[in-house]
Amino acid sequence: MKALDELVGLLTRLPGIGRKSALRVAYYILKTDSSFSEALADRIRGLKGAICFCSSCGAYSESDPCPVCSSPSRDRAVICAVEQPQDVVTIEASREYRGLYHVLGGLISPLDGIGPEDLKIRELVGRAGNGEVTEVVVATNPTVEGDTTALYLKRLLESTGVAVTRLATGIPVGGDLEYADRLTLARSFRGRTKL
Amino acid sequence: MPFDRIRLSSFRNLEDAEVLTQADRVFLIGENGQGKTNFLEALYYLSYGNSFRGSVDAEAPRRGSAAFSLLGEVRAPGSADMPHESIRVSYESRIKEIKRNEKPVRDRKELVELNPAVVFCHEDFSFAAGEPERRRFFFDQSAGLVSAAYIDNLREYKRILRQRNSALKETRHDLLPFLDMQIAGKGIELMDERSRLLAEFDGRFALSFEAVSLLGAEVRIRYRPSWPSDLGIEGILERLGSRRNEEFALGTSLSGPHRDRWNFTSEGTDFAATASTGQLRLLSLTLRMVQAEYYTTATGRLPVLLLDDVLLELDRGKRKRFLDLLPPSGQSFFTFLPGESWEDYQTGSTLVYEVRNGRFED
Repeated sequence: MKALDELVGLLTRLPGIGRKSALRVAYYILKTDSSFSEALADRIRGLKGAICFCSSCGAYSESDPCPVCSSPSRDRAVICAVEQPQDVVTIEASREYRGLYHVLGGLISPLDGIGPEDLKIRELVGRAGNGEVTEVVVATNPTVEGDTTALYLKRLLESTGVAVTRLATGIPVGGDLEYADRLTLARSFRGRTKL
Repeated sequence: MPFDRIRLSSFRNLEDAEVLTQADRVFLIGENGQGKTNFLEALYYLSYGNSFRGSVDAEAPRRGSAAFSLLGEVRAPGSADMPHESIRVSYESRIKEIKRNEKPVRDRKELVELNPAVVFCHEDFSFAAGEPERRRFFFDQSAGLVSAAYIDNLREYKRILRQRNSALKETRHDLLPFLDMQIAGKGIELMDERSRLLAEFDGRFALSFEAVSLLGAEVRIRYRPSWPSDLGIEGILERLGSRRNEEFALGTSLSGPHRDRWNFTSEGTDFAATASTGQLRLLSLTLRMVQAEYYTTATGRLPVLLLDDVLLELDRGKRKRFLDLLPPSGQSFFTFLPGESWEDYQTGSTLVYEVRNGRFED
């Protein structure tokens, strides 16, 4: 069945979807009410038109600038640098952070041919040097590439005079030591704090 | 943990079968090429998810087949009435799947903690007389057997190394200082862990090697890190910076734990340079003995031993001393050629199989 095969082929290109999952999704769409599949197709078609990048921070938004950048209640002295736009959504969900964001658009990785010039680093340095910013929080993942990017940003931002901090790594809140992986546990020990 | 039952399907030349292995020692007797080593390889797959022969998974399916499946039932720790644990390794359409109790194993290091095997095989000779890389492999494996954190650190170091080598090839002057900091930091952690491993290994090794070889001269293990251990992070960064042009020219990292050396010395000289083939063979066997002993000391658990034709190359005296010194194990598998006096080595419960054309016969 050509139509089904083509849909499955496209679905398997989505992250986290293998052939079996793609088949399940395709069969579900096939058997469900056509109003559902039409609504789904409409939303997919309209997504790119409805969502844009914030020209200031690079986050996904329905308006430009985004609600965070245009909000008068946000702390403009702090910028949190993240790897990708969806990280903004994750951090926002915590309701802990009240500053601004800056999406780098990736991480430095020579293996993948990604250097600082491929990321929104120049823009970050520009924002950090506007006289208003006092701290840049680097919220890259604790991976080799995340560490390289963090070290690079620290060195670059030193000239602007702003404080550069990094998210702490360790045992998740409410987590159980028993279930923590060893690398996380080892990092937690190294980063232990005084009571 | 001991294996009680192995189910084989399309693996190497072995006939599809269920092989019972509920014994302290399992002897596999057969001519060369009948499938004895293939069976040990199957056990190794069930212990680590890969082969000890350095071969790729695609070589393991039986000729004419593109898939294989192995299922091992191991005795769970604790009471005798505890249900068995199962380990399944299957390979199909170039995808390998490992399951423990039918739940996917995401990382092979989970298997290492569950059911490690120590294999004594012909390829081990390279630990004594092969490239430095082989000795690094052996000592990394020994450290990884008792510490999953070591495996994580080594993986992270290798990732940084690959990034750094890529930056060198692309002459990324702007990125090297940061990759230097990362490789130096992780490198120091690895060097510290290797030094601790040496402290655990060296004394045991010297005693065991002398007890089996009766050489009369002490043979010690020497660890020579590529970066002197007292250099500190600043000293390492300085050293890396001083060889920058050379590294850019060659496009590779010329120093670091990936270049560390392990060797064996006797009376201050390199033992491998003057030792006989038999002595080198014995040295590699002793390393495996100490690996098994170290695992038990560090974890309080007993490994499964896989001994592939190792007794063949030892004279009668060394053979006896080697077996007397063999550390305690959860279970041992031995391969023998027909005519070897395997009866002498039976202890406790021993199962004996004749292996012929991939078939197991009582």
